[in-house]
Amino acid sequence: MRLQLGYVPLTDAAAVIALVEGGFAAREGMRVDLVAEPSWATLRDKLALGLLDGAHLLAPLALASHLGLSGPPARLIAPAALARNGNAVTVSLALWQAMAPASDALPDVARALARLAETRFAAGRPLCLATVHPFSSHTYQLGRLLALGGGRLDLVRLVVVPPPRTVESLRRGLIDGFCVGAPWNSVAVAAGVGRIAALGVDIAPACPEKVLTLAAEMEERAAPLLRALKAAARWCGTPEHWPDLARLLGGRRHLDVDPDLILRGLRGDLQVAPDGSVRAAPDYLVLGEDALSLEPGTATWMLEEMAAARQLADVAAARGAAAGFLRPDLLAACD
Amino acid sequence: MPDLASPSPLPSPEQHLTIAVVDPSRARAAVLEEGLRTVEGARVVVIPDTVDLLDRLSALSPDVVVIHLESPSRDLLEQMFGVSRLVERPVAMFVDRSDVPMMQAAVDAGISAYVVDGLKAERIKPIIDIAILRFNAFARLQRELTEARSELADRKLIDRAKGILMTARGLSEDEAYRQMRRKAMNEKRKIVDIARAIVTAADLLG
Repeated sequence: MRLQLGYVPLTDAAAVIALVEGGFAAREGMRVDLVAEPSWATLRDKLALGLLDGAHLLAPLALASHLGLSGPPARLIAPAALARNGNAVTVSLALWQAMAPASDALPDVARALARLAETRFAAGRPLCLATVHPFSSHTYQLGRLLALGGGRLDLVRLVVVPPPRTVESLRRGLIDGFCVGAPWNSVAVAAGVGRIAALGVDIAPACPEKVLTLAAEMEERAAPLLRALKAAARWCGTPEHWPDLARLLGGRRHLDVDPDLILRGLRGDLQVAPDGSVRAAPDYLVLGEDALSLEPGTATWMLEEMAAARQLADVAAARGAAAGFLRPDLLAACD
Repeated sequence: MPDLASPSPLPSPEQHLTIAVVDPSRARAAVLEEGLRTVEGARVVVIPDTVDLLDRLSALSPDVVVIHLESPSRDLLEQMFGVSRLVERPVAMFVDRSDVPMMQAAVDAGISAYVVDGLKAERIKPIIDIAILRFNAFARLQRELTEARSELADRKLIDRAKGILMTARGLSEDEAYRQMRRKAMNEKRKIVDIARAIVTAADLLG
């Protein structure tokens, strides 16, 4: 069996990349070609139009595609998550200074951010915050962070910046902050332009991140792929393999980023400010076999967040169509 | 007496239309721009695919954005135009989402388009058609150019190998070529591979 799997180069594509590069797919008798794409929209379109068999995709975007809310009509299934958490909100050093939160704790940071968002909105210069795609946990986490501090997403200018351009955008003052996945927050801190203000895992601990999304007609042929994915995820979740994994991901073929920054993300040993402040967060980004499981309530969470972001009008009506999308049973069936 | 309450007339097909072209390849963008200039009433603006794309697009406020699939900025457009039908100015991609063959042709050619709502299908279809034609033609040209380049490089390599054989073994040009061809046929390899081996060996042996 020969498959084309798409991905966006990010730390949480580890299991998909290792599936191929670690020989796990070959051991199942499969030939898998990895296709790196520069945007989530292109992954979604190629998957919907049958140019890819599967993809590492933002869970909300995959669901939106399946529901007909985004891109060409598609019938998709998601048998597994690919990682847990891994996002963070990074702000410019100027914004962090202006926020001056009472502490680094989430409620203080959220209050300081929401207060500043309100001041800037009132002054006619709304804060500009970036996400990675409208249909993403990143968008919803920004909304939740502001809500936690008593603010609203409507009071900021929400834009999308491709993660590899976040550092330059922050440096040039085109944006005030962003929510992206690993390793791009660490890259901004290492470049001396950003301060990690909040971790996704603190804002929404169980939120679905990327999922392995397959064309629905792959269902009957998914078992060998899912067995290989389990083996690859186990390998990725083993701390002794992290230095090798960081080198693999950091290589030019994939992320083209300093492997040490990737490794610190895997270990949850994050430098949060250019002054060297470090924060230990072992669950910042979780890889491994357990991270493949899709928690019950995942679909509901996404539908409710879509509705809160005014991307979906009627949650109850969408529930039926969403029911067949998450297929943890397919993963559970192959051991 | 004119009825003051009547709605403003529908926009005529000749009305101005601003098309933005975003492409990481400047050469390809130029080819597309030239093609789109033939669309009646269209103003075509090429916007560099750089970090300040968003500000430039906001300032231009185009009716249509044609963007290459290789651009990381597609996600930015999805936010900017609003993918949801609930927002004020929703966007239709490829005019009609049920027009799957057209989407397929566009994606095969490497393009995507974002269109503000209210633009009529008959105004958008020619734009997409031109973009598909131009991108396919560009890809073909590029392929031909690559082939021509590699053919030229092959010929140069074979000439060098021929020269080496002629000097080392005192052969005529024809005889040197015949020997390389025979070796290639016997080993089921391309003559350029044999030539490369000769050149490499000669380089190593000084």
